[in-house]
Amino acid sequence: MAEPDVSPDLIKRARKMVDRAIQRNVKGLEFLTGPPAPVGLTPKDVIYERGTLRLYHYHPLADEVYRTPLLIVMATTNKAYVFDLAPGQSMVEYLLKQGFDVYVIDWEPPLPEERGLSLADYTQDFLPSCVERVLEDSGEPDLSIVGYCMGGVLSLIYAASHADGPLANLACITTPVDWSEMGLSAIWSDEKHFDVDRLVDTLGVVPKDFVTASFEMLRPAQKTAGQVRVWEQMWNDDFVASYRAFDRWGAETLPLAGEYFRDTIKELMWGNKLYKGKLKVGGKSAKLKDITVPVFAAMAEHDHIVSYAASKPLLELVGSEDKEEVVLKGGHVSLIAGPNAARRMWPRLADWLGERSI
Amino acid sequence: MSQKPDKQPDPAEAFRNLITEWERGFDTMANRIMGTEEFSRGMNQLQDLQLSMQKRFNEAMAEQLANFNMPSRDDILRLGESIRALDQRMAKVESQLAKQAQKKKQKKKQTAAAADPSRPPRTKLPPSARKEQANG
Repeated sequence: MAEPDVSPDLIKRARKMVDRAIQRNVKGLEFLTGPPAPVGLTPKDVIYERGTLRLYHYHPLADEVYRTPLLIVMATTNKAYVFDLAPGQSMVEYLLKQGFDVYVIDWEPPLPEERGLSLADYTQDFLPSCVERVLEDSGEPDLSIVGYCMGGVLSLIYAASHADGPLANLACITTPVDWSEMGLSAIWSDEKHFDVDRLVDTLGVVPKDFVTASFEMLRPAQKTAGQVRVWEQMWNDDFVASYRAFDRWGAETLPLAGEYFRDTIKELMWGNKLYKGKLKVGGKSAKLKDITVPVFAAMAEHDHIVSYAASKPLLELVGSEDKEEVVLKGGHVSLIAGPNAARRMWPRLADWLGERSI
Repeated sequence: MSQKPDKQPDPAEAFRNLITEWERGFDTMANRIMGTEEFSRGMNQLQDLQLSMQKRFNEAMAEQLANFNMPSRDDILRLGESIRALDQRMAKVESQLAKQAQKKKQKKKQTAAAADPSRPPRTKLPPSARKEQANG
């Protein structure tokens, strides 16, 4: 009997599919039963801690560093290890190797007794205290700040309300400025339906599940699609390692101090006061036009959390003459972590800061 | 010679595309529904109901604890807040001390005596300045 005519290419493909199916089962078990992905491995010291606040100083990785120290401010909703997911996939490691002296503000979940922390505590106490520590530790008179998402908002408010302070350069990554352009988040927290006072007065600290749900509802299919993708790619160790690190980060959303959340909703979301130049925090005015230091604004074209329209007006509103805008393809997180960030964002940021850090 | 283009369909790639299409379609549809005022109103009404129940439960629990002459959650939180206020005052004192230390350190640095040998020198120049230096 004649053998069927099967092309060698088809046999090769079938073999590959069978091989991957076997690996999927073997590695899938490892995936489900393994410990959480190791993250934040770049060596560092905690040089200041107070309640929810942590200030890290990373060990240098270059023989020579820029004079101006660099302080990165993380968003209050998530852990700062997204800047240091894994060796070779770490913005912090990249900046250290480029010769920056890097400090990072990270947040722990606020305790119930920290429910009264307000926007003023974050911008007029925590940030200035960390700035002082950085200057003291580095022995330098000024510093650069990089703020990510809500960390960018805190940095902007700090910069605007400390116009004569020691800030030398400010970089904001996916930072909302015009809160009327916050899309679904603006609709869901509309003053007509959302009773923020009742929420904060009842719960004190806004629970982690509330924060997680408000992110996940923006892309309801993302989690399921991600799980299907990782199953399909289970044979691919790099993909799985990256997925596990991001998945851990996404799952470790932080609760928010109640007063801080109330201020964010009332002053920024409802009042849009940062955009309108009417924001007062802790009795101090925070007008973006008072920021005159060099400003770098990076935004993502397909950001589903902070839309391009929400972050776009920043450079028009600051009083700086030296300003640069970077718009990259990708989403909210892909500007700070992942291949897109490593290829496009980190080098742009390092170049911009490097020229201004001497 | 260039390789022949591979015309065989890749089922794995087709599956990945299918997932991407499904995700995009589902998100678009869900966002359209969730972006309406009705959805926002309904979601917030449900949340208000949950909060009302929790508030009533908290009040009932506080009453019971008061009957047993025990501190309620709010009492403990107020105590915690007092400790935090003390912590804040301490931080202000620390901050003043830090400012003084920084001034001293900067003075020392100006006399070139404060360089920490365990840290790299802060002398790095950006590529543009290095090029300028090289060009004399």
